[in-house]
Amino acid sequence: MISTVTRLWLFAALLVCSHGVAFAQKPGPPPLQFGAVSAADFTAPAPATDSTRAEAEYLCDYGTTKIEGSNAHFQVVFERTARLQIHRKAGYRHATVRVPLYTRDGEAEHLTRLKGFTYNLQNGQLVKTKLDGSKMFRETLDKNHLQYSFTLPDVREGSIIEFTYVITSDFVFNLQDWQFEHTIPVRWSEYRAFLPQFYTYKTITYGYRPFAIEEALDVRYSTTVTTAAQGITPGTDQHITAMAQQMRWVMKNVPAFRPEPFMTTPGDYMSSIHFELAGVNFSGDYHDLTGQWDAIWQSMSTNAEFGLALKKPVPPLTAAAEALRQRFPDSVARAAAVLALVQRSVVYNDEPRLYVSQPLRHTYERHLGNSADINLLLVQTLRAAGLPATPLLLSTRDHGQVQTVVPVVSQFNYVAAHLSLRGRPDILLDATEPQLPLGMLPERCLNGQGRLADANGRWVPLKAGGRHTEYRTAQLRLSPQGQLEGTMKLEYAGYAAVAARRQIRQSSAAEYTGQLAQRWQEWQPGAPRLVVDSLEKPVSVELALHHTLNSPDAPLFYLSLLNLPEALPYDFRAESRLYPINFGMPRDHTTVITLALPKGFVAQELPAQLVLDLPAGGGRYTYQVTQPTPESVQLLSRLQYARPVYGPAEYAALRAFNARIVAKQAEPLVLKRQH
Amino acid sequence: MRRLFLPTLVVALLQTGPISQAVGGAVPKYPVDALPAALRENAHAVVRNEEETFTVKSAARTVATMRRAVTILDEAGADYATELVYYDQLNTVSYLRGTVYNPAGLVVRQLRAADIRDYSLSDGISLANDGRGRAADLRQPTYPYTVEFEYEVVSNNPLFYSTWHPQPREQLAVESSSFRVITPVDMPLRYQEQRLPEGSAVVHTQEGLTHVYQWQVHDLPALEEENDAPPITEQTPAVLTAPTAFEVQGHRGTLTSWQTLGQWTYDLNAGRDELPPAIKARIVALVQGETDERARIRKVYEFLQANTRYISIQLGIGGWQTFPASSVAANGYGDCKALTNYCKALLQAADVTAYCALVRADEPDIRTQFPSSQFNHVILCVPLAKSAKPDTVWLECTSQTTAFNYMGGFTGNRHALLLTPAGGKLIRTPRYGVAENRRERRADVYVDAQGNATATIRTLRTGLEQDDFSMLFHNLAPAEQKKRVADVLPFANFNITKFALVPGTSATVPSMVENLGLTLPNFAPPSGKRVFMSANLLSRWSSLPAAVGERRADIWLDNAFAYSDTIRIHVPAGLKPESLPTPVKLTTAFGSYSSQIQTLPDGTLQYVRQLRMPVTRFARTEYSGYVEFRRKISAADKAQVVFVKTDS
Repeated sequence: MISTVTRLWLFAALLVCSHGVAFAQKPGPPPLQFGAVSAADFTAPAPATDSTRAEAEYLCDYGTTKIEGSNAHFQVVFERTARLQIHRKAGYRHATVRVPLYTRDGEAEHLTRLKGFTYNLQNGQLVKTKLDGSKMFRETLDKNHLQYSFTLPDVREGSIIEFTYVITSDFVFNLQDWQFEHTIPVRWSEYRAFLPQFYTYKTITYGYRPFAIEEALDVRYSTTVTTAAQGITPGTDQHITAMAQQMRWVMKNVPAFRPEPFMTTPGDYMSSIHFELAGVNFSGDYHDLTGQWDAIWQSMSTNAEFGLALKKPVPPLTAAAEALRQRFPDSVARAAAVLALVQRSVVYNDEPRLYVSQPLRHTYERHLGNSADINLLLVQTLRAAGLPATPLLLSTRDHGQVQTVVPVVSQFNYVAAHLSLRGRPDILLDATEPQLPLGMLPERCLNGQGRLADANGRWVPLKAGGRHTEYRTAQLRLSPQGQLEGTMKLEYAGYAAVAARRQIRQSSAAEYTGQLAQRWQEWQPGAPRLVVDSLEKPVSVELALHHTLNSPDAPLFYLSLLNLPEALPYDFRAESRLYPINFGMPRDHTTVITLALPKGFVAQELPAQLVLDLPAGGGRYTYQVTQPTPESVQLLSRLQYARPVYGPAEYAALRAFNARIVAKQAEPLVLKRQH
Repeated sequence: MRRLFLPTLVVALLQTGPISQAVGGAVPKYPVDALPAALRENAHAVVRNEEETFTVKSAARTVATMRRAVTILDEAGADYATELVYYDQLNTVSYLRGTVYNPAGLVVRQLRAADIRDYSLSDGISLANDGRGRAADLRQPTYPYTVEFEYEVVSNNPLFYSTWHPQPREQLAVESSSFRVITPVDMPLRYQEQRLPEGSAVVHTQEGLTHVYQWQVHDLPALEEENDAPPITEQTPAVLTAPTAFEVQGHRGTLTSWQTLGQWTYDLNAGRDELPPAIKARIVALVQGETDERARIRKVYEFLQANTRYISIQLGIGGWQTFPASSVAANGYGDCKALTNYCKALLQAADVTAYCALVRADEPDIRTQFPSSQFNHVILCVPLAKSAKPDTVWLECTSQTTAFNYMGGFTGNRHALLLTPAGGKLIRTPRYGVAENRRERRADVYVDAQGNATATIRTLRTGLEQDDFSMLFHNLAPAEQKKRVADVLPFANFNITKFALVPGTSATVPSMVENLGLTLPNFAPPSGKRVFMSANLLSRWSSLPAAVGERRADIWLDNAFAYSDTIRIHVPAGLKPESLPTPVKLTTAFGSYSSQIQTLPDGTLQYVRQLRMPVTRFARTEYSGYVEFRRKISAADKAQVVFVKTDS
């Protein structure tokens, strides 16, 4: 039995209760003191991990978040102190640090109190070089993002570097995330959040590494909020004392993160922690902010960049939708027509977004927009055509998986569309990709579950609306002189067709077939012919093949006919695997070859039939050689992966499966010349 | 009017047909119907009209204005519907305008200010980069359509004059393109014309107090990409231009020769090589007692590599002037100019004179016939003063790991502008040819009775052949190195049992030695009485597609090289070769190839393959011969050995 994907989801709703105030606990000392590096730190014993062979490592990375009173509001104060050792020259880049900051509607994050040192051991002496804070560079990335960069001085192999900074933020709804795992090893990573009882946060944990310490202490809390001046009345200081929770998370000896093939985004696999404000309670009444879908939907439906945007009609499309309503009484056909209409009205600018960048009317007039611009336009047009469409919120594969236990809006980054027709399963649609059929989402959207943006907010599985299917059929003839000739037909269906159409669109039919011919170079292909395309059929290419066997007059011919290009579509080269293998969708690859034998030849040996199964119905490989007539041989090979995702425990089986397939496909067919 | 307008649009949407000419009543521009069929062939887009004007206001200021209308024929041409205008501290964008036309040539939309994005072109590598872009996106969902962009950039960095490339990409046709340069009468333009069609040579006039130079091309059909060809910009018309006099942030210079360009750069950076006394003293102590000049240089270079690192900084005049040596001494880092200047200062302290040299790294070589600012990097050149015959040491100062006196593929095999007190001097960087770029492989393969095999493989790579492996070795942990090597092994089924990548013993060029142990399940699967195996374990070379139609471009190969493979295959008792492939020997103008298999007295099979490619440039007329050469090699590389079982 193969375990399903193991993922750690940790939820802690920090509902601070008013009882339990009587006893306050004392948090432990911080794991490092800035500036306290000694010569002894350079000879610290190597831990069990391979960290000293890495280019650099975090000796300690320590962050705290506190909520403090400020002018008329609360703010978040985040402090980070990190100490790294640079082992090799390749690790020098870790001595350059970039700190991105967010700003919006006059509220901002500020970087202050930057300090840093580089420590070198020279002839047994500790030499300390100070970071010149004025050498910090500020860049405005775009209207919402700033970036500060600094680099530590005098860095060599073996240097220990240390830096600390504070970010103060007006964004109480979103605390700073913390990343425990990096592309270099981490000996100790610790995050503490000091949260007063009147704010309640939900925490969301990602990754596959266990915490060494995870605790919550009740501690005393006091702060001062300065109220705003009113007229000539000056502002006054208001002291607040309450209880708070000191949350603490520690990971120890985390090896370097290494991406593997068939992954979504590295962020899905690296250990990290995230926060979302769930509620406030200043007066004794708890106000849930995001905990309930009702509240989220209330906020989204009245948001000018979401719900309200949908309400403003786009007359030309509305008129067109009404025309389609007349023309297509059948709702499925009508939905397909509306989808095609929106697809050819707007170009996707490759920006996955949850909110519109402009009114829908502008999107239509510009013929260009992000995913929310386009798919909200799709929803609106479907509705205008009398179809009950709903926006579908989701997170793309390179944005990361969503958790479905607590509704959190910030985990979504994309809008697609959903259509519910009586007596039919859910229909998922997306107008960002031309030629994408009704009922299929682009590959980037095949990522767990999406949430319907309506009052109910139901979760909808983002299932692939098809498989990745490749089907190849060859008709070959062998001449007595060892000339192989014939035709090959390559067909791509489901997501393979989506990918092929995209390649053709983004180059041209001629370039596509040219590249294909290059892959089949060994078979001296004739000019491939692209069969006229229609969305209902697979993409289909035909090409003539020629191959000359090496020894034309030999008494025996050995033919490894299945050694074709891309005979093994998925290659598992690494010997082991830490994380799930995410294919996105089931896959199916079939090759059928019919070989006409030359006169005077017989098949001496036919390779034995083989059926291989992956455990738990995970997939199958079928190989079969038959002689439908004495003058011909037929070879069939079919590789099926039944599931979109395989767990790391299944990797060994997948790899062994591949090894056997390779061996089988290399077995030659032996033909004998009869005299 | 409005009521009429909407249904028209709806009809247009449903049929994706052209919008009625009645709308707007304007005179059509760039109608697609007017495009000659010859320009649509093989094209994703057609430049309908491009007008570039470069005005030299003074030695310190230039203004470039551009108007470009492109008809986009399909999605692959859609990039031409977007525009990114670069600016920084020394360059300002005066305006950026855009218009979309339908196939009939009528305006359907104007670019609005709100649709223009402004963002940092931060490269994610530099510590600081002041480069920014104004970006516009006018892509449309149905084809064809035409976009027109107009913009103006005022530059206070007039060392760079425009280079005119009217046809800069494959599959782009040009209906009409013109380039105009206007200069003050006392600042005549320097220019070089390349591959201009007949009748396109400069038209030079004097209008009052200005010179006007004008070029024009029209009806250039789209070109298709070819294998092993020079970059497209080396195949299509171009005009290079350069100032005779310029001024960058108060620093005046003349550019009439390599000598004067070098002089300005030398003077701009003069006096910035003063070292703190402590560093000077360290260097003096470091080389004390070392009399050999080369050894002294090596010691200083090793000091540099151990104590500094490269940090990219891309800011304003910083592009020309180095940070002082004292700054590198204090911080331990710098960009290419700063580290090269610092190393020069360190060598000075060791009583060795060195010169900075400008070079165009990682791209085709500069045009030596046209002195102008064509460089992107600085290296250090150290002529050996005490050597019996002329000899030079070359140092790459931005790398902490590059071998002493090695330029590699990054800066080798090209020209560099030496910066001396007497001005610039063009010289050649070291050449790495067939004698230097070698790959020598020896392998032993042990096959068992079931057809499984184990192999030990030792590969020595030298010169340019080792560049990538040296990078692997220095930049990645051993486990990652092994993974990268595994990714390119040409086996479908294998396990690595041993892996070691280490630098070889030093010679004139650096080398890397890779030792691999492999298990190869099913390497030689028995099939009935026979066993098949490929003797050429790792070195297969692919064939090339034949040219479609006449070959247009000359053949440019990357580097000269020589490969040799000796594979010994140890087969189990009870197997004897049924057939051995016939030896192949090819000797051509392109290179030579040989492969042969023989049985050694102890029954071991020995496969020897040799490939030498000493020359890298050939005329286009030789392409079919080259394809044939590659086809023969490809066929010979695949030869199989067939064994029969003798004991059954």
